[in-house]
Amino acid sequence: MTLADSMPGPGSEPRQERHKALLALLLDNLVWIILLFALACFAIFIPKFFQIGILLNIIEQSTFVGIIAVGLSLTLIAGQMDLSIESVMALAAMTVALTFGTGGAGGGLALQPPWLAFPVSLAMALGVGALIGWLNGTLVVRFEINAFIVTLASYIWGRGLVVALSGGRSVYGLPDALRGVAVTRLLGIPMLAWVLVAVYAAFALMLAKTPFGRHLYMIGGNAIASARAGIPVARNVTLAFVLSGTLAGLAGWLLASRTAGATANPGIGMLFQAFAAVVIGGVSLKGGQGRLSGVFAGVLLLSSIQTAINVMGMPPHYTMMIQGTLVLAAVLLDTAKNGLRRRYL
Amino acid sequence: MNRLLRLAAATALTLGLAASGALAQSKGTIYYLVPTLLDEFQTGSIDAIEKFMGDVGYEVTSLDAQNRSDLQLNQVDDVLNLAPKAVILAAVDFDAIKPGIEKLRAAGIPVMIFDRQITSTPSDFTSVAGTVEIGHIAGDEAIRLLTEKNGSPKGKVLQILGDPGDPYTLDIQKGFEEKVSAHPEITVITQAAMQWEATNAGNIAQDQLLTNPDIDLIFNHAAHLSVAVAAVLEAQGKKPGDIMMMSSNGAPVGLDLIRKGWLNVEVEQPMYAQAAALAMFADKVVNKQEIEAGTYDVIGLTSELTIESWGPNIKIPGAAITADNVDDPKFWGNLQPPTTPVAAVE
Repeated sequence: MTLADSMPGPGSEPRQERHKALLALLLDNLVWIILLFALACFAIFIPKFFQIGILLNIIEQSTFVGIIAVGLSLTLIAGQMDLSIESVMALAAMTVALTFGTGGAGGGLALQPPWLAFPVSLAMALGVGALIGWLNGTLVVRFEINAFIVTLASYIWGRGLVVALSGGRSVYGLPDALRGVAVTRLLGIPMLAWVLVAVYAAFALMLAKTPFGRHLYMIGGNAIASARAGIPVARNVTLAFVLSGTLAGLAGWLLASRTAGATANPGIGMLFQAFAAVVIGGVSLKGGQGRLSGVFAGVLLLSSIQTAINVMGMPPHYTMMIQGTLVLAAVLLDTAKNGLRRRYL
Repeated sequence: MNRLLRLAAATALTLGLAASGALAQSKGTIYYLVPTLLDEFQTGSIDAIEKFMGDVGYEVTSLDAQNRSDLQLNQVDDVLNLAPKAVILAAVDFDAIKPGIEKLRAAGIPVMIFDRQITSTPSDFTSVAGTVEIGHIAGDEAIRLLTEKNGSPKGKVLQILGDPGDPYTLDIQKGFEEKVSAHPEITVITQAAMQWEATNAGNIAQDQLLTNPDIDLIFNHAAHLSVAVAAVLEAQGKKPGDIMMMSSNGAPVGLDLIRKGWLNVEVEQPMYAQAAALAMFADKVVNKQEIEAGTYDVIGLTSELTIESWGPNIKIPGAAITADNVDDPKFWGNLQPPTTPVAAVE
């Protein structure tokens, strides 16, 4: 090897830049690559998996975990966390079901004209979520209580309230106006899937293009420096909690619509799936880092595995084992990614 | 002022006499250790046990184990210090609770087993429909439905269990499969809805109907799972009756689904009779008197009491609820508890 070989030749710099850009693209979208790889494997090895209906099922069934994962991402990016989302979702679902359900413990409220049930129930669910989100945010910001403790408490009392309100009984028989979103298709695609995509598009845009979104990253990266730079940290963090709660309320409303009511344990276990999706999607638990496109891929990956297991007829505890392994792999991969970035980019 | 004092004294005396009268009527407190409140059967059983035990003079305090066997064992330790007349136990885990039962009985506190049979250690009285037997009834009904549809016992069944860590659902699965396995032309696909969560059941049905569109019958191990499955079927454009469906436990929601045509059969667990049987034999259990084997009438259901190696065991027959008998008030899902008080067995 001569000195000339190691010297950058004409055109080598642009080539290096291209390689760096390609590497950066690959690292930024690693979860999508893993998702595509997993889907390809499932399509090859699992009979009847590769069909449009199954792919639509994957997206539709991702809706609830996917939406609460957006709220969780907002709080994590802001350097906090929200453990209450699953209970808020359940409480919103139960509130709507108790008000409008005609069977079981339902109150059977009938509005005139009937379509009013749609906006009123939606407002109720979003209101329940926003209220608990505001309460969480206020306790964290104003009283400076650790978000883990505040939202864990909300998780526990929220679940208890669901059981207390329903007396352990199921509620069913929601009006058609409320069920519409779960039974309607637009261009052959379930409406729930459209809602999921719309939520991700709106919040990805918000995070990337609005001052509020950019400020969340800055606050999560360094709250003190952000405050010194004049960013309203308290207001933005509170707003992140309110948005997280509101999104959980939306997920609860959709869940009630999907299951035509509510049981005493709606959505149980979804908090951990949301956490798994967020970590797999590359949102840093330390705050200030992460993109919703990665979270979306994480949610779809988890849903794909669940669907594959359903189609294969495997016992469901394998899902949990695989999800746990994936979370660990994601953290290790994240460490490897950071190493690669430091070395080559 | 004096009149006010006299009035207060008279009120206190009246309340005191009333309280002492109430205490005199009560034979003592029995603790009911309920496995969870996230299940309509269990929440309904609290009311039923309180009502029937009240008929024979006992007060009941219920403690929820939140589906945690460790918490239920802690509750046993707590109750031990409260000197109850007896403990009614619906176990979270049939095996994990064994040391708790032994501890209670060693302390002289009788243990009555409700709904979830425990055979690994002796107890003082057991009142069950039998989870395996519920599975048997479901199996027979599945065979009947498939024969009516396909001309002979053949077809494809999607069986959706509850949480795979819950012995209750595994027993029903065992009973169901014991029956249908006698017919080789019946294929059973089994999936479990983690944590008994209804959305999981809906997702399973949605995926399976795509990959196995020839499913004839869906058997859900609880009525609340059927609600989500019916909702998914409706979203897929199916009409009631397009795919046969059945579930077990007899909850109100299941009966409503029968009335709407989504559900063909709901296997009833005779909750009222199971609870009434406890009350009928409570005096004998508390006073440690001998219980005789034989046939007993438990609020209209002929039930067999046998003396097993684990103790006296009364088995109340379950029933298949269909569109023909769905309005019968004897089914607990119709939420019409018997008004006639039960009487203690002499």
